[in-house]
Amino acid sequence: MIEPEEGVPTVLNLSEIAEREKEEEEKVVEIVREFGAENLIYCMQCGSCAAVCPLARVGFEWYNKKLIKALLLGLKEELLDDPTPWACVACNRCTEVCPRLVSPFEVMFAVRRMMVEEFAIPTLAIEGLRALYEYGHAVYMTGREARKKVGLPEKPPSTDSDEQALKDLKTILKNTKLAELGLIPMND
Amino acid sequence: MIAETESVKGENKLKFGLFLGCNIPFNRPDVEQAMRKIFPALGVEIDDLKGQSCCPTWGTMPSIDIVAWCAVAARNLCLGEEKGIDLMTACNSCYGSLNEARHKMLTNPEIHKSVNEILAKIGKKYEGKSKCRHVAWVLYKDVGLEKIKESIKYTLDDITIAVQPGCHFLWPSNVYPDKEEDPFNPKVLRELCEALGAEAPYYSKLVDCCGMGALRSTDPEKSFTLVKEKLECIKDELDADMIVTTCSSCLIQLDDAQERLRKEGKLNFSIPVLHYVQLLALCMGFDPGQVAGISVTPRDEIINRIIKG
Ligand code: SF4
Ligand code: SF4
Repeated sequence: MIEPEEGVPTVLNLSEIAEREKEEEEKVVEIVREFGAENLIYCMQCGSCAAVCPLARVGFEWYNKKLIKALLLGLKEELLDDPTPWACVACNRCTEVCPRLVSPFEVMFAVRRMMVEEFAIPTLAIEGLRALYEYGHAVYMTGREARKKVGLPEKPPSTDSDEQALKDLKTILKNTKLAELGLIPMND
Repeated sequence: MIAETESVKGENKLKFGLFLGCNIPFNRPDVEQAMRKIFPALGVEIDDLKGQSCCPTWGTMPSIDIVAWCAVAARNLCLGEEKGIDLMTACNSCYGSLNEARHKMLTNPEIHKSVNEILAKIGKKYEGKSKCRHVAWVLYKDVGLEKIKESIKYTLDDITIAVQPGCHFLWPSNVYPDKEEDPFNPKVLRELCEALGAEAPYYSKLVDCCGMGALRSTDPEKSFTLVKEKLECIKDELDADMIVTTCSSCLIQLDDAQERLRKEGKLNFSIPVLHYVQLLALCMGFDPGQVAGISVTPRDEIINRIIKG
């Protein structure tokens, strides 16, 4: 193999990857398809999604098109440490332009769901989940000066001021996969 | 394509459940107050949608499981459906999450069934009728530009606005109840601003991402790169007097990141940022302290210019 010269960024080593077990390759594709990225197998690597993706624009490693290629090649471990899927702004520019109806956004999020199963989840995401369960709001603030300043009641008419609604929401969350995963305490 | 349901217009009156989300009621309650002022004045009745929660936003349930995402969204949509009304929101993330979840339920009977099994535990069922509208579309389509023009006290003569519709106002266009003719060259927000008398020209980064949300929480540096490019484009191409958005996340990012960039010496200008509902509320003559009282980048100058003419 020709080694890249110093300063030249490394690229995916396709020949090495091609040698991987066929079995493993199918496994990761099946996992992400299960998690909502059914159509990723139709990708023809045209690059339209990358051309409009803000993540590709600012230099995240595993932006949509490249992530899809990696998954189709059977890569998994390499992806688990990378923050790219968690930076996806869910803008769906990619979904809009994809000529093969892949929905690269769904691939990004399917990889997030796969990472969650492996507990490769950012702390901030855990905090958001905890706040969602505790208060019904992923973004929650206890300080209410701003509301008072603009002449609104201290609490919005949400789960924040409606005990039964918060209880209902907790019941819903307890009956989802979130409870099975045990990422946050959900005892009450 | 998903089934469209007509907004309820009992006795010729428009009525919507005001879906707040998180950022608006806690971070930017002046946007909430602006909506509570303008809609009744424009003949649109607001229901509080008591007991609503987070939409759920992208970093939470959508990142965990699709059925779990849809179940939380469906409980919120049920609050409108039980009253025979649609929801409306001023937050693009809520608009995106709720409508994508609805689209999943309506196009995948298995998901819909699993969601209703969960909802049954709290005595609810989501039929798929209620959807979430965007306040900008309600103003554009249901209220109409003519009525907006009639309702304003101050016009924005000689004011140039850079519009920022934001991602989830536009894409993926197939899940939304209202669509731009060309989602990569959006016109609705421009026309809404023009109805107030302002200029709202096209600029080359009009549809570019502001860098908020997951991108900012994952890598602030990269996020600020994006927002800086956008702001510089707005300055260079339009020399805009203000930025007007229809998204609460874009509002926070463009307003707050601007100040950070200035503090770091990376930006040497300042452009006030407003949500469209705030701008409309100001033009309608509501108290600036209540409808536009919270910002990082100063707004006083532009507000005075609007009010003093
Ligand atoms: S636009 Fe679609 S087909 Fe083209 S590279 Fe992206 S996912 Fe693949
Ligand atoms: S949804 Fe995610 S992957 Fe698709 S264009 Fe937006 S940031 Fe990129």
